[in-house]
Amino acid sequence: MTSDRLRISAAVAVAAILVAIWFLRDVEPAPWSDAEIALLRSLWLENLPELVPDPTNAVADNPRAAAFGQQLFLDTRLSANGAVSCATCHQPARRFTDGLPKGRAIGQSRRNTPSIVGTAYSPWLYWDGRRDSQWAQALSPLEDPAEHGSDRRRVLELVASDENYRSTYEQLFGALPDLSAAGDIDSAFANIGKAIAAFERTVLPADSRFDQYVAAVVAGENESLKTLFSDDEVRGLRLFIDEANCMQCHNGPLFTNNEFHNTGVLSALGEVPDIGRAGGLPDVMQDPFNCRGEFNDVATRRCPELDFARSGPELIGAVRTPSLRNLDGTAPYMHKGQIETLAGVLEHYNDAPDAMIGHNEAEPLGLSARELRQLEAFLGTLTAPYRTQFESM
Amino acid sequence: MIDHQIVIRAACLVLVASLLPATLMAHGGVVEEDDLCIIKVNYLRAHFKIYQPRVSGHEQFCEDLPVASESVFVMEYQHDSLSFMPIDFRIIRDVTGKGRFARIEDVDEIADIDAATVFYRPASLEPDVYTVLHEFAEEGDFIGIVSATHPDTNKIYAAVFPFEVGFTGWGYWPFIIGLLIIIQVQYLLMSGRLKRWFGAASVLACCLVLSPGVAEAEDLVVTYSTPDGPVEINRMHSWVLHVATAEGEPVTGAEIEVDGGMPAHNHGLPTRPRITHEIGDGDYQLDGVRFHMGGYWEIVVSVTTDAGTETIVIPLTL
Repeated sequence: MTSDRLRISAAVAVAAILVAIWFLRDVEPAPWSDAEIALLRSLWLENLPELVPDPTNAVADNPRAAAFGQQLFLDTRLSANGAVSCATCHQPARRFTDGLPKGRAIGQSRRNTPSIVGTAYSPWLYWDGRRDSQWAQALSPLEDPAEHGSDRRRVLELVASDENYRSTYEQLFGALPDLSAAGDIDSAFANIGKAIAAFERTVLPADSRFDQYVAAVVAGENESLKTLFSDDEVRGLRLFIDEANCMQCHNGPLFTNNEFHNTGVLSALGEVPDIGRAGGLPDVMQDPFNCRGEFNDVATRRCPELDFARSGPELIGAVRTPSLRNLDGTAPYMHKGQIETLAGVLEHYNDAPDAMIGHNEAEPLGLSARELRQLEAFLGTLTAPYRTQFESM
Repeated sequence: MIDHQIVIRAACLVLVASLLPATLMAHGGVVEEDDLCIIKVNYLRAHFKIYQPRVSGHEQFCEDLPVASESVFVMEYQHDSLSFMPIDFRIIRDVTGKGRFARIEDVDEIADIDAATVFYRPASLEPDVYTVLHEFAEEGDFIGIVSATHPDTNKIYAAVFPFEVGFTGWGYWPFIIGLLIIIQVQYLLMSGRLKRWFGAASVLACCLVLSPGVAEAEDLVVTYSTPDGPVEINRMHSWVLHVATAEGEPVTGAEIEVDGGMPAHNHGLPTRPRITHEIGDGDYQLDGVRFHMGGYWEIVVSVTTDAGTETIVIPLTL
């Protein structure tokens, strides 16, 4: 009797194990449907539109200005202590970030250093969008006491004193203003930003393994698919475009909509929660170097981004969606570098806790630990070098 | 002069919740009635919550804090006036000896308030949300004092909330909870809010039943065209709206307001599009349209003519 019972329970146990194995076995991921392929295409770098001209910056696409801008970008003499350049925080070798929770130059900056790769496509710069062009953005750190700690006069004095800089400047923009007089130098200062922006515009993402994979999917090269992506990466990609809701914000070939979202990230330790866009919007509206300002190189000053910018409580605690291309080596993540690992970021979105201020737009995902690992595996396929016309970087 | 009224109405549910394990803490934040922890500064209300990010992450507290640690106090205004009023924030050690029952009168009697103060932030304007951070060095009884100054009348409104840092025992909690439940239920009954809630629920139910018909029931028909190419995400578009009567007669000279959003995600458009000029023949130029994610969107068009205002919803799936 007892042995019968034993036998039955052993049989049940074996059956249960077999069922479990059957459920957990690695089934090959299903082939992509047409609807899914359409979504994959929308993320494909091949579909990144041509960079539209930036008429607010007359030298935006001038190669000489870009070369000048690159020199300025790397020049520590632009800082008050002679030790800080743009590349101190935006390190080319680290995909233009610095590996720190918050940028460190002369002092500590307020937020995590964002990459500049592909930012020419964004209508807004900074996490809170407090600037509306790359050139207006490039000016702020020069005069920020925590960053370059310099001022416009000293920056222009350096340009005037360096023979090479001076002649390049004058070829591009005409004579430098008289710096000994108290006259107006703002326009010349704006030109410095425009040269730096001309360089930054050339820094764009390059094809990643993901893009090669989509190319193979589109071409129907089913054999090469398996060599390009592991099963986990395929599953992670499927989660990314569907269940994990990532594409609500991380959409398009740059994996960002460049808009502002509150996703309920915990405040940085030692700080009150960051109001984000709620502060950035009034800031950009008041910026003398914004699109409406007199330094815009188009006299008509058509500024749809400022004209139709949205205000309101949705902006409280909202920050700009970052690109997901090249997450590798750019940790820690989020606007204050609050989360150290990608796994931690994914866990955060899986939980989607209530925001400390404002309203968290994200909803809990309920993904399993395994699915989160698959998502993380997929995100690794977005790693690729950036491209720029400058070999020496 | 100080207008004495106030106190935090720590709604009983939060108190109950604060005694439960952390994982059971649930908090809404979308619907106003779910905002259980409210600070009332005279007639001004704000959603009030405290975090201890270092020890308990996103967990919210209403008043009492479990440990002496870095604490972030958040007030989210439910009343716009607070956006325009300088607010100052003070935390004092409870030297009144009245603990939980300390009132503004007791605070006024403190001879040297500065000596008892552990944190003070002078008046400042915070247009969006008010936040302060204080790291408690020790456990004990404290009193928070929030004062807001009316910019026109210079009248000062204040709120006082006694709280405990490092509370452990149950003490007289069950008694207080029981009392608060009774007070809360009484309040709900007396304020008619229960009735309102039920009323609102039934109105909502009606709307849900009726809503699919709304667009068709209108007398006006709004159609749109996209001269600058098909609608795609992350690009700013200009549209042409055509407004006509049900019979197809173009409507001219109308005032049109446009808004919209994603009902499923509870957010609006990323921009504020508006009519920049009337082209004529019922056509209106709509500029500044952008969508920042794929999915179901609704564009809400309010057309005002001499006959009144009609609202037409344009559904759109991207």
